[in-house]
Amino acid sequence: MVKIGIMSFAHMHAYSYAACLKQLPNTTLGAVWGENPRRAKAAAKQFDTQYIRDINDFLEADIDGVIICSENVKHRAMVDVAASAGKWVLCEKPLAPKPAEARRMIRICNRAKVGLGTAFPCRYSPALIEARKQIQGGEFGDILAASCTNHGQFPGGWFADESLAGGGATMDHTVHVVDLLRWMLGREFTSVYCELGNQLHPEEISTDDLGSLHLEMEGGIQVSHLASWSRPKSFPTWGDVTIEFIGTQGVLNVDAFNQKVDVYSDAAMKTEWAYWGSNIDLGLVADFAKSIEEEREPSITGEDGLRAVEVTAAAYKSARTGKRVEI
Amino acid sequence: MNVAIVGCSGMGRLHAEMIARCGLNIVVCADANAEAAEALAATCGAEVSTQGKRALARKDVDIVLIATPTPFHLEYILAAAKAKKDIFCEKPFCRTVDECKKAIAAAKAAKVKLFVGHVVRYFQEFETLRAQIAEGKIGEPGFAKIYRGGIFPGGGKSWFANYKMSGGVTLDCMIHDLDWIRYVFGEPKRIFGQALMRGGDDPMDYAQVTMRMKNGLIATVIGTWAHPSGFRVKAEVCGSGGMVHFDSADAPLRAQKRDSASGPNMIVPGSPVAESPYELEWREFIAWLEGGPAPRVNAHDGLKAVQMAEAALTSIQTGHPVRL
Repeated sequence: MVKIGIMSFAHMHAYSYAACLKQLPNTTLGAVWGENPRRAKAAAKQFDTQYIRDINDFLEADIDGVIICSENVKHRAMVDVAASAGKWVLCEKPLAPKPAEARRMIRICNRAKVGLGTAFPCRYSPALIEARKQIQGGEFGDILAASCTNHGQFPGGWFADESLAGGGATMDHTVHVVDLLRWMLGREFTSVYCELGNQLHPEEISTDDLGSLHLEMEGGIQVSHLASWSRPKSFPTWGDVTIEFIGTQGVLNVDAFNQKVDVYSDAAMKTEWAYWGSNIDLGLVADFAKSIEEEREPSITGEDGLRAVEVTAAAYKSARTGKRVEI
Repeated sequence: MNVAIVGCSGMGRLHAEMIARCGLNIVVCADANAEAAEALAATCGAEVSTQGKRALARKDVDIVLIATPTPFHLEYILAAAKAKKDIFCEKPFCRTVDECKKAIAAAKAAKVKLFVGHVVRYFQEFETLRAQIAEGKIGEPGFAKIYRGGIFPGGGKSWFANYKMSGGVTLDCMIHDLDWIRYVFGEPKRIFGQALMRGGDDPMDYAQVTMRMKNGLIATVIGTWAHPSGFRVKAEVCGSGGMVHFDSADAPLRAQKRDSASGPNMIVPGSPVAESPYELEWREFIAWLEGGPAPRVNAHDGLKAVQMAEAALTSIQTGHPVRL
């Protein structure tokens, strides 16, 4: 039985990971800690596990690994103490707002001889796995260009507080797609140009709520990506992950979460999409548990997290300087 | 009023139908390719010419429709202006901004009317998007994305595959959306673009362009001539209070026919309307000639659209953003 703890429920994904730990065989949610005691205590109660108030007591508890779901800027410090306590670490994305911090996290985990994984669950999406298989099987020839989106509704709270998130929608919604393209095409990003917008929630936030990125990958692959919190409250779902691949032998469109039932409910007075596709978090959490069992790195590594953060940081630099930035 | 058609391939044929619907008389169809001229002339009882400039200068011609490949627009506009004919020029206005300026100057000097057919301004779906935005349904708009395109027009042997002539999907097709974005959201500040512009027997172009408008709005436009088949348009605009979205794949008609002798046969989604947007632009143009109000798009708009496309092409070439 692999015992995993959760550090912080600041990021809502923590609730899904907790549910996965309860659902998977041979894993348990061993303990819960959080900087916000009320929230962590409530979560412990919800998932029927122990809440440990003191972080040192938590790290001394009988757990093999931790999943860190704090605000982005707090990732590094938490990885630091968890790794020093000999725990395997799965860290929510983005690994850290700044590449230098991400590099430090990787070094700390290496030194402590613990595995470090980045939470990029989209790699466990059956639609994206199938797309990768077809692309790598050469069914679309050489991929020349891609046009991507990762739109979302405005999450509110710390996500739009630069001192906690390190940025806005572009920080939040760029790394998934960057990681997917690296994983699917086996190439690294070489440059980025970025326009940042903040017109969609002018009253509420000062960070960006839209990033329009134009990137290049090794071999000259041309990529555009839209990262946003542009979906209105009345939108039928949280958002999307879409990619159009242009290959020499054809075009492949992926709309990763487009498995849904339309729901028209007078109680809601808006159309809603009930998702029936697979739970991608399950694969991510299962791999993390297995990496602990097998004492190996998680499949999606800290290095993968760093690569994505490097692209995001370069995008912000581009928006600041008005220039294309080499990565 | 009598019309001379110069350029008798796809767009020339489409406009001929609209001209007839508007009750105008087509007197001559001209094309360097005699077969194309003959084929179109036969459908409208017009005379045939392989000499465009001679045809448009005929005494009985009042209006010249220019639907040739883009790089020839200027010379026919100059010839038509010299012959004192009013001009309906298919988009893109000209290949370069300099050519657009010469065309405008010539029309002004000759006191003839010059119209540029940015037909997307007449499309019902785009007018509906514009109206919803104007009514404040989405609050203050902050972001727009338009996607347009499909199969490469005419394959590897067509003039579109000569990027020097056509400017690729960016100048020839995306220009619709660059114009519409400027129409609705005002002037652009800077442009960044990427495009494939692959030549050879199997040409492909795929352009991805982002504009920062002077009012702060960000517009990202994708133009494709990289698809194996079909044609699709998608548009969305997001604002502080909502979002509007259109996808041509959502259409009232969708048909699929059984395989025929010539191979699998598919009819793409169809969205028929009582009044074709091409007919609407002709009606506005004709009303203007008859002393009515100026059309919603003018030659200066056509020039600005070429300027945006040229800036995008410069960015595509240099890899750097271009300020306008």
